[in-house]
Amino acid sequence: MNRRSFLKSSVAALPLASAAAAQPAWAQGADFKNDVDVLNFALIAEYFLSAFYREGSPMLSSKEGRYVSDIGADEDAHIAAITATVQDLGGTPTMAPAIDYGDVFNDRQRYLRFALRFENLFGGAYLGAAGQISNKEILQAAAGIYGTEERHAAVIADLLQEPVEGGVFNGALTQGADKRTVLRALRPFVKNPQTTTVEAAVTL
Amino acid sequence: MTQPRPFGGGPVMMFADDRSRRSFLKWAGLLGVGATLAAAGARSRFASAQGDEGDIGILNYALTLEYLEEDFYGRGADSGLLTGRAGELVAAIRDHETEHIAAIESTISDLGGSPVKKPKFSYPQGVFKDKQAWLETALDFSQLGVMAYHGQVQRIQSPELLGAAASIAGVESRHAAIIARLSGRNPFPAPIEQSASKSRVLKTVQPFVSG
Repeated sequence: MNRRSFLKSSVAALPLASAAAAQPAWAQGADFKNDVDVLNFALIAEYFLSAFYREGSPMLSSKEGRYVSDIGADEDAHIAAITATVQDLGGTPTMAPAIDYGDVFNDRQRYLRFALRFENLFGGAYLGAAGQISNKEILQAAAGIYGTEERHAAVIADLLQEPVEGGVFNGALTQGADKRTVLRALRPFVKNPQTTTVEAAVTL
Repeated sequence: MTQPRPFGGGPVMMFADDRSRRSFLKWAGLLGVGATLAAAGARSRFASAQGDEGDIGILNYALTLEYLEEDFYGRGADSGLLTGRAGELVAAIRDHETEHIAAIESTISDLGGSPVKKPKFSYPQGVFKDKQAWLETALDFSQLGVMAYHGQVQRIQSPELLGAAASIAGVESRHAAIIARLSGRNPFPAPIEQSASKSRVLKTVQPFVSG
């Protein structure tokens, strides 16, 4: 389907529509070639999340520890599902890059802040990419994953006693993040940026 | 406590508290089916399961649910049941719903439709006098709201509206997680948000609509 022609028929001046249009990647067709491309991008983000939660954590309360372990299990489940879907679509799942988070795991505050930043970013990444997914079942699944990343972010922000507005919540509408912003944020944690798919994706 | 539970035994509570009920296979299966259907070029099984009222119908449906949530959270925020940070969180959630209502109403008008009026709502007796009962009812409503938005993902026609609805849905997910946390329930009931059809959602909220 020709996305541009479809967009032409839609109404652009609506309050809701303009809120969506303000999100960088929404309604721009250039970031991804097809659904497999979107899924592989999501897979990269999930690799980074999963690696983070697998690495271990600093001293946390038992409740915090349970939250973090549940969140990590969510990310692993996302990886499994996205990988299977890419394969079902006849694509090749992106390989996990080698990731190095440095010494972020020594300190509770730093650790949770890092997790919050990533959850916010990747929730926004799903929203930013959603407009470029053409298959509705995949869109449904991506939306479902996006919702859980938003849950993770809210709870982590609350653990950190972040402000209610501008912390736990960021207004009444979630903002999307575009692919370039996401990949740029990931780049510092890639062990061999020249040889990885992340770097390749950044230079697309 | 034997407080009347509005959704007690209903499907909404299925995943509200029990992490052990989350079944990886169940939802991973959903994805698998989707991908297989996609590969075969088949249409979504959701698309034919419900009548098609178009975007205005979906927006009015969302508006009804936002009215209900705003009303319930607003009364909770005004009840004094929740103090300190909990009170602050619930007040912020109420304010978001107010903004969602305004945005959805003006979008319906701009599309040439008529926004539905706010219905009168009634709730189980005593729910605004019992913090835990209020929180658990709020959790049911917030979960239902999330499921309702996700139930429309495949049905919204306009890409812009879909983007806007998705950006609302993400905020509703945050609400549900925070209310779950406040009520001592699991904020992460499943690795992927579940969805519910319009008919199921409306059937669930019908007992609260009094006119």
